[in-house]
Amino acid sequence: MIKGLLALVAALALCATPFGDAAAQKPILSGPLAKLDIKPAQIEGKKGTPKGTLTIAQHFALDPGWLDPLEHSYVLTMQTYDYLVHDALIKPMPQGEFTYSLAEHAELTADFRKAAFRLRPGLKFHDGQPLTTADVKWTYENFKGAYAKLFRDKIEHIQVVDDRTIIFQFKQPFLEFMEMYSGGVSGIGWVIPMHYYPKVGRDGFKAKPVGAGPYKFVSQQAGVQMVFEAWEDYWRKTPATKTIVVKGIRDTAARLAGLQTGELDLAFGMTGKLLPRVMSDKNLRWVPNFTSVWWLMFPGYNEPESPFHDKRVRQAVSLAINRHFLSKQESQSIGPVWGNWISPENRDALKGDGKDLPVPEFNVEKAKQVLAQTKFPNGFEFDWYVPFVPYFDMAERIITDLRAIGIRGKVQSLEGPGFRAKMAQGRKGFPGNRTIVQNIDPRPGGAKANIGVYATCGSPGSMVCEPHIDELWAKHQSSTNPAERDRVIKQIQRILIEDYYFVPIYWNPFVHAVGPKVLPEGKGFTRYWDTLHAPYPWPWEDWEVKG
Amino acid sequence: MRRYILTRALYSLITLWLLVTIIFAMVRLTGDPVKMRGEVGADATYEAQIRRDWGLDKSLPAQYVSFMWNLVRGDFGHSFEKSLPVGTIYFERFPNSLKLGFAAFVISMLLGVPLGMLSALKVNTGWDNVGKAIALLGLSIPGFFVGLVLIIIFGVQAGWLPVIGKGPSAFVWSDPSTWVTFWFQDWSYLAMPAFALGWYFSGAMVRITRSGMLDVLGSDYIKLVRLKGVPERMVMVKHALKNCMIPVLTLAGLNLLVMVNVAVVIEVIFNWPGVGQLLYDGLSNRDFPMVQGVVIMSGLFIVVLNFVIDALYGCVDPRIRLSR
Repeated sequence: MIKGLLALVAALALCATPFGDAAAQKPILSGPLAKLDIKPAQIEGKKGTPKGTLTIAQHFALDPGWLDPLEHSYVLTMQTYDYLVHDALIKPMPQGEFTYSLAEHAELTADFRKAAFRLRPGLKFHDGQPLTTADVKWTYENFKGAYAKLFRDKIEHIQVVDDRTIIFQFKQPFLEFMEMYSGGVSGIGWVIPMHYYPKVGRDGFKAKPVGAGPYKFVSQQAGVQMVFEAWEDYWRKTPATKTIVVKGIRDTAARLAGLQTGELDLAFGMTGKLLPRVMSDKNLRWVPNFTSVWWLMFPGYNEPESPFHDKRVRQAVSLAINRHFLSKQESQSIGPVWGNWISPENRDALKGDGKDLPVPEFNVEKAKQVLAQTKFPNGFEFDWYVPFVPYFDMAERIITDLRAIGIRGKVQSLEGPGFRAKMAQGRKGFPGNRTIVQNIDPRPGGAKANIGVYATCGSPGSMVCEPHIDELWAKHQSSTNPAERDRVIKQIQRILIEDYYFVPIYWNPFVHAVGPKVLPEGKGFTRYWDTLHAPYPWPWEDWEVKG
Repeated sequence: MRRYILTRALYSLITLWLLVTIIFAMVRLTGDPVKMRGEVGADATYEAQIRRDWGLDKSLPAQYVSFMWNLVRGDFGHSFEKSLPVGTIYFERFPNSLKLGFAAFVISMLLGVPLGMLSALKVNTGWDNVGKAIALLGLSIPGFFVGLVLIIIFGVQAGWLPVIGKGPSAFVWSDPSTWVTFWFQDWSYLAMPAFALGWYFSGAMVRITRSGMLDVLGSDYIKLVRLKGVPERMVMVKHALKNCMIPVLTLAGLNLLVMVNVAVVIEVIFNWPGVGQLLYDGLSNRDFPMVQGVVIMSGLFIVVLNFVIDALYGCVDPRIRLSR
């Protein structure tokens, strides 16, 4: 009898699983579909008990605006809070850059004119209200953050088929839709409760947000601290840590002291002069957390009088830089010397470790020889070397390297806002034609996002404007063939490097450190940084600490 | 008397208007905050929308009129960086600054006044040299250095004191029970930042107390008191100290204002959530409303305090109100 019952249960289980999957995979759209590589979510069936408190030090003041995805800016830091309080239909997770989250199924037509999602059953917001496709539609229509215009311009119609099924119809092919709608790039994919937001208003939502993410918002002191508590009904798993406290601590020494005293468990941005102390402290552990690549640009290079107009001068600059020494001084040699200016974590980026692009050479004699063939055989004086703030020590080291081949200049030490405002204006932000700019940009959206901003003539942030690159860019933009687009993007990267429009330096580690309370002990904790191209260690529901 | 007070009030209003107008103009000379929020490559529509949201799409005179009108209604505007009303954030932080400022003030007085007196009483002795050395160190060693040393010794090495923030206690305007308890909780968090802040000001207190005391001790009336055979302790406490305290208290009052309103460096190092940090964040991010709000509130305290002092002077000394 018992054996019979067990057999029946087993048979039912075998039938139920494929049936459930089949229901999730049931097609929404008709006609040929594009191939999507969206990984399934890892759902933990067993309900755990959250315990302990994780105290995190953010390296700048906290903005309550980060709690509102509708006003999501371009800044990646905001996603830290999206991953805590909110949830998206698809988002980057450790198992893949595109992973199902609130959605269990997605489709995109082969002509990129329609996209559809099916939500998981039984989704709720923290206040117990159901999360439906009406909320998804409302979020899309009310989003006004970065890229809002693009989304607005592209959309023709949003059809709510039922509480779990939604179809987006576009005016023209929208190839990047899935990428941009994913929580990794824009705020539009993080679903906001339409029953709550209008009721409390913009300020009210920032002061007390409600979402569908793994953590419920508890309290905040604007700029200082935010407290979140595990939401045990989260669909994917019960968050492992009971309370997460985020503190805004600008001073690196204070963050280090906090880790050492046990007041903090995780601190961001530990690179620089204090890194050796982090590395030598037996109670602390650290991860390199590679973000993006340092690189040099030459605004004004395209004016014929500019010394940087000559490709050989730019080549000499590249040859003169002792990148290994720089990496040693700045990052204890954690950062590898890199031959591309775009982070290799972007799937469409050429690898700069010799695989796709050569590792840049350090050769002062060769640099002098190359320079000798130009109009400036003995070097020249340039106006300013403008470094990304506050990396002034690194700038001085590069200036010293350049001086060895006769290229002399001064560091322009701007404050953060000044630098950012200049960068936002592209070449116009750096008048004259004898300036070198040192930058880093961990921009989401793949290599094409970086190219679109820095290397196309039409971009407000353009630093390179070349007709042949613009032609390729136009080809990329008009193409609906993903393989061709990928090829073109790689071709542009190759031009930018081989013609020394951009001079890469090394792949920057933005070191994060953890205290002894973080589990698992030993090196296993690095799994929290497994999400590709994520500057911060999300998803937060995976974090475990000693209770 | 009424005319005198009205005149002083008018002067105060003019001072405030000048301050408000100057800070309105000055913050706008620092550059475009929208470019900071927009990031490199931000599309023009997004920037235009932020500009509209922040009221920066209007002409400068229109912005000024709107700013003044809001100010009259007690509205400092919305912080660009912290996305909430400036007034809400400011008044959340202000009690923390008061707590730190008062504690530092007490430390500066407890260190500075007795040492200054001792220095003056034992002039040109070893005690005097100690007093002068402490005054010199107080003025020459910056508070942030003292703070870092304290953090390393008492926080990291000894583990006696916490190094981050102000502790869990909070002053909640809507909860009267916290209005009293707040001041007496989390002293372990307060100890190091208050000492680091008070240390600097104690140097000045030593100097002014010492010089004031020396002036008074050399005056004719003290000689007369001594000739009359009054015990030395009485001479010091009743006659000398009382008279030398006028400049000391004047300086102490000014110091208190500075400690409450602009303890920027100490607040940053200890992550103390006061108004100084707000100002620092505001300046770092071109957060016009926040900078305006903090500066105006600090200015308001100073102007009001001066007005009260002027009015009191007028009350106690008829020569002052008649001469003006």
